[in-house]
Amino acid sequence: MQQILIIAKQTFKEAVRNKILVVFVILGLITICCSVFMPVVGDGNEKIRIVESMCFRSITFFGTLAAILLSASSIPTDIENRVLCTITTKPVQRTNIIFGKIIGFMYIIGVLLIIMGGAGYALIKFTALKQSAQGSSELLAREKFDPYTSQVTGESARKIGNVSWIEGGGKGASVWKFKGLHSKNRKDSLEIEADFLVESKKRSTRKIPINIKAVNPYTVKTLTESIEVSRNKPGLLKLGGEFLGGSEELTIVVSPENPGDFIGISSDSLRVFFGNKSFEYNFLKGLTIISSQFLLMVIIAVLGSTFLSLPVNILFCLFIFFCGNITDFMRDLSTVINVFETHEHGHGISTVLKKTNVFVVFLDYVIRKPLFLLSYILPDLKNFSVGKYFVDGINIPYKTVFVSFGYAVLYAFFCLPISFVVFKRREIA
Amino acid sequence: MDNDIAIKTENLTKAYRSFWRRKKILALDKLNIDIKKGEIFGLLGPNGSGKTTTLKLLLGLIFPTEGRAFVLGKTTNDVAVKNRIGFLPEESCFYRFLNADEILDFYGQLFKISRKERKARIDRLVEQVGLGFARKRPLRQYSKGMLRRIGIAQALINDPDLIILDEPTSGLDPIGTRETKDIIVALKERGKTVLLCSHLLSDVQDICDRVAILDKGKLQISGTIDELLSSKDVVEMLIRNLSDEAISEVETFVKEKHGEVISVKNSSDTLEGLFLKIYAANINNSKTDV
Repeated sequence: MQQILIIAKQTFKEAVRNKILVVFVILGLITICCSVFMPVVGDGNEKIRIVESMCFRSITFFGTLAAILLSASSIPTDIENRVLCTITTKPVQRTNIIFGKIIGFMYIIGVLLIIMGGAGYALIKFTALKQSAQGSSELLAREKFDPYTSQVTGESARKIGNVSWIEGGGKGASVWKFKGLHSKNRKDSLEIEADFLVESKKRSTRKIPINIKAVNPYTVKTLTESIEVSRNKPGLLKLGGEFLGGSEELTIVVSPENPGDFIGISSDSLRVFFGNKSFEYNFLKGLTIISSQFLLMVIIAVLGSTFLSLPVNILFCLFIFFCGNITDFMRDLSTVINVFETHEHGHGISTVLKKTNVFVVFLDYVIRKPLFLLSYILPDLKNFSVGKYFVDGINIPYKTVFVSFGYAVLYAFFCLPISFVVFKRREIA
Repeated sequence: MDNDIAIKTENLTKAYRSFWRRKKILALDKLNIDIKKGEIFGLLGPNGSGKTTTLKLLLGLIFPTEGRAFVLGKTTNDVAVKNRIGFLPEESCFYRFLNADEILDFYGQLFKISRKERKARIDRLVEQVGLGFARKRPLRQYSKGMLRRIGIAQALINDPDLIILDEPTSGLDPIGTRETKDIIVALKERGKTVLLCSHLLSDVQDICDRVAILDKGKLQISGTIDELLSSKDVVEMLIRNLSDEAISEVETFVKEKHGEVISVKNSSDTLEGLFLKIYAANINNSKTDV
């Protein structure tokens, strides 16, 4: 352990004295500060959301860049400069060198995270105060609740994939049930957010009116409101927390108001927010999730550095980072290619041509299968995306923090042994 | 294995293959050598003869294609044995942002030497290699010779039983060379084993007990300096204050005894000797001036 810490300390010292850390900190701070000058169309809250979003994006970008560049370059550079040649002649296990390097990189990135996070937090607070002086400001960390059950009643117009389409005019409705709605302060605002797909027989209509009926099954209190929803702007209905009257359950019935108007709903189209958590805790949870992503990238970059040269390793890490952000797209693309060549209905190219087509074989073996495989092997970096929580002002559930951290640890669990074996067998000439 | 043997190699072979695993380059071919404890052993050979490859194999930096090697009775992949080894690489490559004290402290910590002991050793070694005046200067500001000196210091930080030196005098001025040779001889006097490889033959001849000559990865010859260099049918006499007539008489006498005079010339010093004399004289003069 002592040797691991010595190497970690040395790695940190190297980054500080070579001024790499300073460069990243300065660039990150400049980007964060620039967010204040972003033009905003909307109210003060919009401005705060922009600053929050920019802060987290800057921290993620520069942190990931630092993680990749530092971790991908350290071991190859040490081998190239023959520094490792001297260190490995000392009584140090090669696994200790890898552990030491990883801890050193996390130490560097931790400092980067603290400085940029601190600056970001100060800037968000400053923006919120400034907006507060102008009459509108809220640092939100709303507690989000998902329905435990949702069903479509009445005549459902059609169902495509996961989306059910309901027509208005009493022909159909969707019923959502929530439970476990609790907040320390019962007077906290209770909000219902409806994010539906919208269609109308009147082609010029972009917004359609919908009826939202909230029912408290405990007190049998009912409230019906009509709001307008459009495809890009979710409808928001604000109720007081007292509506629940001590109950933790809520039933919501939604239906379009007019015949010829349709709403497309999926399981997560309706959300309930009840209570506002501490923004500071939410900010820290966001930073924890981001640091889990940094850990993951460091582990991958160190793995690459045990067998790849410096430029190849950097490309390798950037490839993983890029693909890790589009794993869903890769999976979808592979499904689309599969559908293109499906034999299910006898419409596949090969079936039509009545012989194996070279193009189809190429598509299947060179693109579809590798894409499908890669989408599962590569890390899914969406697990570490926190920007959406801050843009929507949603409290990050502890479960999300643990899942993202656990995901990074699990990945490390598989990557580290490979790094150890490869590095142990590597000749340091 | 014999307890008196510090290093033993058995058919030690290293072959490199090209990227496509086709072309085979034999860097070392079935090397068998025994190096005794307490001796200074020189590994000689031209560039590319396999000297550095041998050292790297002994240190476990690279792995043999065939054969095996034992260092201080252990195999080369035994990490614990490295506690007793000091190594000076061919090029002194260290973290350049550190100063002399810091780099020695770093290596000292890797050997888990206590803080107090580390400090004492660092002070002693920095003075011993003549870097006391530059110990707080970052290594990036060091000359090649100074880096060589700090390299020697780091090789000795753990007070090793076996010291492996790759081109120890490369880049050093004559005084540095002499001081390094003195350090190596002093190590031997303390019972340490030294393996050095060099292509500066005079250095090796001055201090080594035994040498081995490698060429194209193969061991060409090995033995003590005397065994390898002495020619029993040639005699050298160094005589002071002999006149020309006396020299002629000696030549005549040798011919009468059926001997052959190969050459008669005035004795000359080596350049190194001359340099050291001048340096010593300058030091004495400056002391007198003071």
